[in-house]
Amino acid sequence: MSSQLLVDYTKCTGCRVCELACSAKHEARFQPSLARLKIVKYDDLGLDVPNVCGPCEEAPCVEVCPVYAMRRDAVSKMVYLDHDKCILCKSCAGACVNGVILLDTYSMRIIKCDHCGGEPECARMCPTGAITYGPTSTSKTVDRHSKILGYLREIERSAEAQESGGVE
Amino acid sequence: MTGGYTGKILRANLTDETFKIDPLPKDWIREYIGGDGFAAKLLYEEVAARIDPLSERNKLIIATGPITGTLWPMSGRTVFVSKAAQTGIWGESHVGGFLGPELKYAGYDMLVVEGKAEDPVYLLIQDGHLQIHSAKDFWGMTTDKVTTAIQKKHNDPDIQIAAIGPAGENLIRFSAVIINHARAAGRTGMGAVLGSKNMKAIAIRGTGSVEVADHEGFLELAKEAHDRLRNNPQAKEMGKWGTWILTAVKQQIGELPTYNHRTGVFPGWEKLSADYIRPRYTVSDRACFGCSLGCKKLNYVSHGPYAGTLEEGPEYEGLMAFGSALGIADYPTTLKANQICNKYGMDIISAGSTIGFAIESFEGGAIDEETTGGLKLEWGNSDLAIKLLELIGKREGFGDILAEGTRRAAEILGPETEPFALHVKGLEFSGQDGRTHRSIGLGHATGARGADHLRSLVTVDQLGYQDVAAERWGADKLPEIVDPYTETHKAVAVFETENTYAIRDTMIVCWYSVSWPPVFWMRDFANILPLATGEKSLGDVENLTKIAERQVTLKRLFNTREGISRADDRLPPRFTDEPMPEGPGKGQTVNLEPMLDDYYNLRGWDLETGLPTSKTISRLSLDWAVTNK
Ligand code: SF4
Ligand code: SF4
Ligand code: SF4
Repeated sequence: MSSQLLVDYTKCTGCRVCELACSAKHEARFQPSLARLKIVKYDDLGLDVPNVCGPCEEAPCVEVCPVYAMRRDAVSKMVYLDHDKCILCKSCAGACVNGVILLDTYSMRIIKCDHCGGEPECARMCPTGAITYGPTSTSKTVDRHSKILGYLREIERSAEAQESGGVE
Repeated sequence: MTGGYTGKILRANLTDETFKIDPLPKDWIREYIGGDGFAAKLLYEEVAARIDPLSERNKLIIATGPITGTLWPMSGRTVFVSKAAQTGIWGESHVGGFLGPELKYAGYDMLVVEGKAEDPVYLLIQDGHLQIHSAKDFWGMTTDKVTTAIQKKHNDPDIQIAAIGPAGENLIRFSAVIINHARAAGRTGMGAVLGSKNMKAIAIRGTGSVEVADHEGFLELAKEAHDRLRNNPQAKEMGKWGTWILTAVKQQIGELPTYNHRTGVFPGWEKLSADYIRPRYTVSDRACFGCSLGCKKLNYVSHGPYAGTLEEGPEYEGLMAFGSALGIADYPTTLKANQICNKYGMDIISAGSTIGFAIESFEGGAIDEETTGGLKLEWGNSDLAIKLLELIGKREGFGDILAEGTRRAAEILGPETEPFALHVKGLEFSGQDGRTHRSIGLGHATGARGADHLRSLVTVDQLGYQDVAAERWGADKLPEIVDPYTETHKAVAVFETENTYAIRDTMIVCWYSVSWPPVFWMRDFANILPLATGEKSLGDVENLTKIAERQVTLKRLFNTREGISRADDRLPPRFTDEPMPEGPGKGQTVNLEPMLDDYYNLRGWDLETGLPTSKTISRLSLDWAVTNK
């Protein structure tokens, strides 16, 4: 079974250590705007949702690329970009359902997660275990909505605890 | 530019509606490092003595340090510096969240806000794109509303926003600046400074980078530092319970401020403790930028009068300020109070303390219902506390007087209220008590911004970290140095702790990795700073200590220029004359004077006047400050 980046949406604190670690590894500087993953933050609700590349059932970035520069590994299902073929049309960036394919306007190239060649830095540095790397079957939470659901469950649970705890 | 810095200071002049970008003076790096240090230098040079902090001539500085925006753990914090609206002396307030890194990514080490806008405005900084927009439509909004409104208007949810609420607009003396809904630059009245400039918010979006001098070396040490934090048992506890663990610790040593600091034990403490709160109210854990620890908790109240309250916090200080200090054994009240403080933009410590002052004055017969507008003030009354807080936020009725803060309110309400007005230099007390934690007695009295717990609080004695104390200050000072009930060696502990925190605040890193739990200290700073900046001299602990001393003495000079002297380094009689009435520290008082003598000697300040001596001034290369009177 091939490995994927697995996200447990209930654990993320929104610290963005993963974004820092990714840019430090791939850009040799600290620049979250060029990280190959993104933490979407809802500060009004206190929610933080990591968006990473994959696992995609269908890979729209592969479908949309007019010059077949995006190649999907049949076994691992991971998508790789062939920079030599890429014509910088940005179709993939627009098509990515997770919003994690970017155009670096400084170096003029498309940047995209490559799972760090099998040793993902984001998973190594994430302090909470919200991002891990392993076979998809071990994924506890693959559904993005689960954080929201889990969150509502927490609110319900705290309500019960407050009731039974005799809080008037 | 040297590594870690962007090399630029951005100035926004609201009077002329112009921006200016100055190069960061290179010689500042070696002598002041960054953060607090740069800000102190700039404020001293550019804000003249004796000006009104709420006048056009005051400036507000947002400063970052060389490691802000890097992977060093807990380096996402930022400092606001200004002549304080509340006290008229040195003002600073550090805040977590994501604002500082964003400012660096936008390309600036510091932002200096100058002048005064004619009509309400907000700043929008998008990398090199600098704009001043009208905030007429936003004036009057609470901080959460204006934050969302600006993000919506510019179609970017990632804009980081520092906003004031109605409290800042109404020049409430302890008004805060709130970053993205829930992080507060709370103390000393930064909100009022922005309010006086007609500035509703500062919105920042940066897409650039921070580059350190030695990327590989820096990264290796930063990762190691993250691992050290993650494996530190106390840091793990802190991540789980946040600052709430303190309630139990303080109750145990008799230092949980109760009934306006009258006593240090609170019968209802359990309902304000971590064990009680987390399982019942906490729905998620959150962190500031780059933090492995994540002390922030999002909480929800489902029952009772405050049902439906969903908010981060409060910290231990808020539990104290609207809990034990007002005799209220109810967590939801403190969460509600925190929410109001966040929305209106107010400092929860000063707000709670000013209300405590009013209640005790009422109880002591110094004020009556005629003054309070018919309100019967009493301890343990949640509704009353929340009502007063809202009146303050709106400056309505009796709230208009309390909005002036304890010192000014006591001046308005008459000398009979004076014994109940607890403050140092105009700043209300944080949640410690020198009687049962002697070192903080000295810290409160000497703090540059007033009764402060963040610049020199020694946790080693409070929490009994024997090994740490022995390592830092020598085993020969045990056991006295970790005994919270004696003055012995406390000046040394305060002096050295204050020095370390001064460097912490120049870098800038979070309190919680340095102070509590005490994971990083000077040696760690000396290891990382040269890798970040490329400046070798910052790798020497002795030199860092000197920079720290310069820093503390420069803030002191800022204050002495405003007339502060030894006579102002005092504690209210509550701490020096009224013995702790009960609990494990029963009978304790603070004997301040000998600690002050020791402290001045260590700092090289004159014993009689408390002013830095000319020898100290030249040793610390601060002669420029003296000619710049
Ligand atoms: S796996 Fe590597 S490239 Fe992909 S997001 Fe994580 S750190 Fe970045
Ligand atoms: S490092 Fe982990 S906890 Fe922090 S933001 Fe990324 S996924 Fe969330
Ligand atoms: S410990 Fe708390 S305050 Fe400090 S950086 Fe982490 S989350 Fe922020």
